[in-house]
Amino acid sequence: MPKKMNIAILGSGNIGTDLLIKVLRSPYLKCTRFIGRNLSSPGMRKASSLGVSISDQSIDALIDNPTCCELVFDATTASYHKKIAAILKKLGLKAIDMTPSQVGEMCVPSINLKDCISYPNVNMITCGGQTAIPVAFAISQAQSNIEYIEIVSSISSRSAGPGTRANIDEYVENTESGLRQMTGCQNVKAILNLNPATPCIDSQSSIFALVDSPDMDAVSESVAGMVLKMKEYVPGYEMIVPPQYENGRIAAMVKVRGLGDFLPQYAGNLDIINCAAITLAEEYAKEELEH
Amino acid sequence: MKKITISDPTLRDGSHAIKHQLTAEQVSRYCAAIDKAGVPIVEVGHGNGIGASSIQVGLSGESDIKLLEAARSTLKHAKLGVHCIPGFATIKKHIKPALDLGVDIVRCACHCTEADTTRNHITFVREQGKQAFGVLMMAHMAPVDILVEEAMKMESYGAEAVIIMDSAGAFLPNRIETIISRLCDTLNVHVGYHGHNNLGMGIGNSIVAAGAGATIIDGTARCFGAGAGNTQLEILVPVLEKLGYSTGIDFYKLLDAADLAEKELLQSAPRVKSISVVSGLSGVFSGFTKHVERISKEYDVDPRDVFFKLGERGIIAGQEDMIIEEAYALHQKKTGKPL
Amino acid sequence: MNPKQLEMIKEDCSRIFRDPDRFSALKNESVLITGGTGFMGSWLVEAIAYLNDQHGFGTKLTLVARDIDRFNQNQPHLASRSDISFIEKSVRDLIDIPGDVSWIIHAAGTPDNRAHSSNPLDVIDSIANGTMQVLDASTRLSNLKKIVNISSGWVYGAQPKEMPRVPESYISGPDSAVITSAYAEAKRMGETFCSVYKGQFRIPIVTLRPFAFIGPYQLIEKPWAINNFINDAINGGPINILGDESTIRSYMYPSDMVNWILTVLCEGESGLVLNLGSPEGCTLREVADMVCGCIPGETVVISQTLNRKPKHSVFVPDISKAQEKLGLELSVSLQDAIKKTIEWLKLG
Repeated sequence: MPKKMNIAILGSGNIGTDLLIKVLRSPYLKCTRFIGRNLSSPGMRKASSLGVSISDQSIDALIDNPTCCELVFDATTASYHKKIAAILKKLGLKAIDMTPSQVGEMCVPSINLKDCISYPNVNMITCGGQTAIPVAFAISQAQSNIEYIEIVSSISSRSAGPGTRANIDEYVENTESGLRQMTGCQNVKAILNLNPATPCIDSQSSIFALVDSPDMDAVSESVAGMVLKMKEYVPGYEMIVPPQYENGRIAAMVKVRGLGDFLPQYAGNLDIINCAAITLAEEYAKEELEH
Repeated sequence: MKKITISDPTLRDGSHAIKHQLTAEQVSRYCAAIDKAGVPIVEVGHGNGIGASSIQVGLSGESDIKLLEAARSTLKHAKLGVHCIPGFATIKKHIKPALDLGVDIVRCACHCTEADTTRNHITFVREQGKQAFGVLMMAHMAPVDILVEEAMKMESYGAEAVIIMDSAGAFLPNRIETIISRLCDTLNVHVGYHGHNNLGMGIGNSIVAAGAGATIIDGTARCFGAGAGNTQLEILVPVLEKLGYSTGIDFYKLLDAADLAEKELLQSAPRVKSISVVSGLSGVFSGFTKHVERISKEYDVDPRDVFFKLGERGIIAGQEDMIIEEAYALHQKKTGKPL
Repeated sequence: MNPKQLEMIKEDCSRIFRDPDRFSALKNESVLITGGTGFMGSWLVEAIAYLNDQHGFGTKLTLVARDIDRFNQNQPHLASRSDISFIEKSVRDLIDIPGDVSWIIHAAGTPDNRAHSSNPLDVIDSIANGTMQVLDASTRLSNLKKIVNISSGWVYGAQPKEMPRVPESYISGPDSAVITSAYAEAKRMGETFCSVYKGQFRIPIVTLRPFAFIGPYQLIEKPWAINNFINDAINGGPINILGDESTIRSYMYPSDMVNWILTVLCEGESGLVLNLGSPEGCTLREVADMVCGCIPGETVVISQTLNRKPKHSVFVPDISKAQEKLGLELSVSLQDAIKKTIEWLKLG
């Protein structure tokens, strides 16, 4: 049994609690603190029921006891992360930032996992970014002359909490900047739709690219390879429409069904960003073990 | 005499009918004519609002900024309005530049159950000292209680009016009566109605809305708009006047503007085509029509089946990508193999 | 439990489910009931067990209750069924709801007015906070179809004397200056939580406001008028009316109650609020006389009006909305309800 890396989770909302359950399953990670502000929140009570050490002291819990962990998942808010990023750095703690703060290096594990572990603060972009950017990246690998890339994500209304709704512009901006960086295409657009249908729709994304006479065989092969890579850390990732050349554009669609750990299965959008963050944390842990 | 404010989205909703290819020149000419007629609000921009130009819903031929500049420099009396959907448009990239350029009214729109996505945008517009309206799109998809709740949210964010948008042209008059009355009973701000013609109810529903208390009614010249077209402006105004409402619009000059629109803007006169009836009955956004027709042809499937499938799934405006998914699935079912 | 009592319950169930198809939405689905061992919970469990046994519904039940032993003791015939499982917890300590649950009946929150005045803070906490925990956990369910929130007819506050039946549209509230309002206020707060979760998280919720009931599984020692009358009568009388004999109450028999709750669960549109009870108001004197008539001979009614100023309060629902929206009616008269209750108690 390898020694596990000690991690803390900051933020006891849905994302933080779902992360906790995934950490508890991980052979590389051990959650030594689950930190929030309110001991009676459902996440805190869940953590407590799972025997995890909890604190309601927010960032002070880490300032007072910086050796409790080596890495912190920040599942609070973008504005809070901007405030504490420097503190975490000073304490010598690695940070995986789940918020759209745009502070750290942006990471999509299937694209730049190895590069990211040299950074002390890594940002997980957005849920839509984690879903669609891999496909956009795969297209950009097969095709160098992309004029424009667009990703459209549809998620069920119920999976978009008050935080997402209040920060819809930040979502769009962060997804676009991730898309730009990963694909190298400067002309990009991200769109988010909230659909209230019941039963709740699974989260899905469409990826469009404007390309002049593309090599569709190369595109299809590249995308298919990427989907396999995604499935390694996101079991519910699925291609629903393989790359098509239609009306002068490449179009492809993927969907994500969540694991249903602390969140409903239809909230694949929330599951995927957590799966990505866990993959990154495990990579840090593996790296550490080797040295 | 009860006053009705007419809002004219010809240069916005009409974009759908010509795949968002309006030119600045066309905008100037129509604005000049409609301004003379005394129409108080003119909406300009991409069919799905500013910042919506995309593969998903259609790329604009001309940028929103260019179109808005053309309108701004022409309009002397009418207020200049834009439609704006959070999730497509952001404050920084789209709303702020529009306000800087002289836009007077921002109609912040969302699917009829998602009012809280408009909070920041409405707040921002009000903070800039400009007018903000809330728009509940695809309103036929929610029960009246939810529409009232969502409208109240918009009012609480600072919206000075809440517009009920029949984006699919799916409403029948009895529901309009119920919804508008309930909203007028509950809200302290203006209530508006934006109709479409898929089931031939454009004018009829608008009259019912006015009777139930709506004080803002949308209409477009020659029905220029998505799918089967909108409530026809040059019919709406005289009919309202005949019923005893006052619009402050010069009838002859309005007719002149409509004639100009037909000559300058329209590629073909909008009419209720068979596919528009299907769109209305299936309750799918009118703006899908051109996409559904094109994609169904490419995938060799019946566009009517595609519409009904989308309707069953509760697909909302903005989810145009689902057309490909459904057409692809229908094609697979039909041929037993992928394309 | 006397097998004849079980027969009575089964017969009641067979009358509720003359048309079981009306409830087919529950087939092979998982239902969670909070307050699973209370009066309402006991009846709902009987009814769903009946649907499974007689009509092959295959419905899975999960009961949340503080005291499972009480359930095993009260309903031993249901104790070891494979289609019923338990979460032994107070609702306010609930964290997760089993992931397969798609229907919830939130019936926790004791309507025992003895606790309301002796431990009002606990009552508020378990009702208001408990409701919030159930709602919060429900936001994480993948396939939630509906929640029925069992509120209370007391949320209206005192029913005006000139209003013979209180409709759902009557907006008033309990008197917050008195300690005895804790229960009603907490139930009102629970309704507000429901509205918020419905509005903010789109959780499909309907609310029922129960009035008074009489029938099997009703704990006869609870200090309510009709219970007292029946208790007095069974123990050989005389029947005591405490307070004002012109006080008006109405009573619903539990088979009707179950029919209403399950119909609302299956068919009620989210956001619906309905009264749950009988619209036939009777004075306590009339009720006492009815009880008296069921036990021939020996029992007499003694009226003790203790208060100088008669209060003659009214607590009777208007049910026209339930009739209009879902065609709900009552099938058991008060006379029959009393008769059945006495018969059932005598078998016990």
